[in-house]
Amino acid sequence: MEKLLTLWYGSGLYNLSLGQGVMVLVGLGLLYLAIAKKFEPLLLVPIGFGGILANIPEAGLALSAAEQAAHLARPGVLEQMATALGTSLDPAAGVEGWRHAIAEVLHGDISPALVRAANDVAMDAGYAHGMLYQFYSVAIASGIAPLVIFMGVGAMTDFGPLLANPRTLFLGAAAQFGIFATLLGAVGMTAMGWMDFSLNQAAAIGIIGGADGPTSIYVSSILAPELLGAIAVASYSYMALVPLIQPPIMKALTSQKEREIVMTQLRPVSKLEKIVFPLALLILVVLFLPDAAPLLGMFCFGNLMRECGVVERLSDTAQNALINIVTIFLGLSVGSKLMADRFLAVETLGILGLGMVAFAIGTACGILMAKLMNTVSRMPINPLIGSAGVSAVPMAARVSNKVGLESNPHNFLLMHAMGPNVAGVIGSAVAAGVMIKYLG
Amino acid sequence: MQDMQLLEEGLSLMALGMGFVFVFLTLLVIVTTLMSKVIGRFFPEPVAPATPARGRGAAAPSQDDDVMVAISAAVHRYRRRHRR
Repeated sequence: MEKLLTLWYGSGLYNLSLGQGVMVLVGLGLLYLAIAKKFEPLLLVPIGFGGILANIPEAGLALSAAEQAAHLARPGVLEQMATALGTSLDPAAGVEGWRHAIAEVLHGDISPALVRAANDVAMDAGYAHGMLYQFYSVAIASGIAPLVIFMGVGAMTDFGPLLANPRTLFLGAAAQFGIFATLLGAVGMTAMGWMDFSLNQAAAIGIIGGADGPTSIYVSSILAPELLGAIAVASYSYMALVPLIQPPIMKALTSQKEREIVMTQLRPVSKLEKIVFPLALLILVVLFLPDAAPLLGMFCFGNLMRECGVVERLSDTAQNALINIVTIFLGLSVGSKLMADRFLAVETLGILGLGMVAFAIGTACGILMAKLMNTVSRMPINPLIGSAGVSAVPMAARVSNKVGLESNPHNFLLMHAMGPNVAGVIGSAVAAGVMIKYLG
Repeated sequence: MQDMQLLEEGLSLMALGMGFVFVFLTLLVIVTTLMSKVIGRFFPEPVAPATPARGRGAAAPSQDDDVMVAISAAVHRYRRRHRR
């Protein structure tokens, strides 16, 4: 009987908290969206599965050694950890109270040196970091995974349409207004007392408006790691929702006549231009915004590998095998941040709401900018391509093309929309650099 | 009081960030346009393939005729010689 009870106390069912149950359902929901609805399946499958793994009771896959020890260790180890953390344990509180107190301290705002000390004590006592925690520290906390993905995106990007019509860069710039408007929105919600976001957190939320998964993960891993799970999920789900969110805004802001504008065909771009462009962009980054160097540097590197034509093998690896491998670990690591005690908060709802607003504002600003440019320039610009300025490559460009075809079945805007689309990637990386410079 | 400060910081970050994004991308537009001009002027793409192809295409039929004449003459002569 005793043994049976031990088995029962060790079972998942006995230990499952309500929050964990809810998060397992959220993970299943993400898997459903990915598999049945095809919402960014490459990312939502690993994220959803990682989310379920992170919420398995007692397994502690997403916990550090110290957190595991706080949950499971003998009282003697707990006392040692308390000394390492520089707190004292109330003898009257009992062991459960101690566990709670130590976990509280570890989740709170303490210096990394103390966390390291506590981890050392826990590891000496035989506890180890959970698997997902390891993935997270290698892939995201170090900043590597988003950067490698950015390199792969660079290797997949063709700057031809942008080079043929460089003015479309302005559309990519205008669409970044979504980022900053959302930042202001998050700060405003804090000022009204609805939510409690710091300026760093507000900036990390705003980057969702850049519609660029790796960029938003990179920025939030630096500025607000505690919100990373919610931000990544919001960012990728809205990228999947681009075909639903954008068209109503695009139609509301343009007239039928504007949607029918036919654009002049793009000039051919020479190979040399394509090779020089990433280098020119890199030099501008070096000169004006070194803080964007990790993101744009990797992006330019990937693109140079693609265009120079002498390292086919490297370019092929960067845009296929490597980006796939990294995506798996990135997804699982993001999933590790979907732990119940951090994800199930009012803030998450705020982030999801603000992310949607960020997208909508970015789309609207891109279109308005395109209309403005259309009035001043000689070459006609179809305002529909403005909405592609919120990166989300190549989904946003396809949406522009589709809405354009609905108005005029002979008007193919896809190549024209690719210009602002890749400009949006550069724009959001620049915005990320400014945020990191200002707040990091 | 603190909230007002937060709002102010948010506003200044927005102005700064948006301004910088525009300045940077404007610079990029200028640099890109210049680069394309320079490359177009000093390193023009060899546009040759289009014209020679057409030239060769036009020349081909007459050339073929000559070849045909030569071949049929040769065949004719060969047959005559071997019939005997």
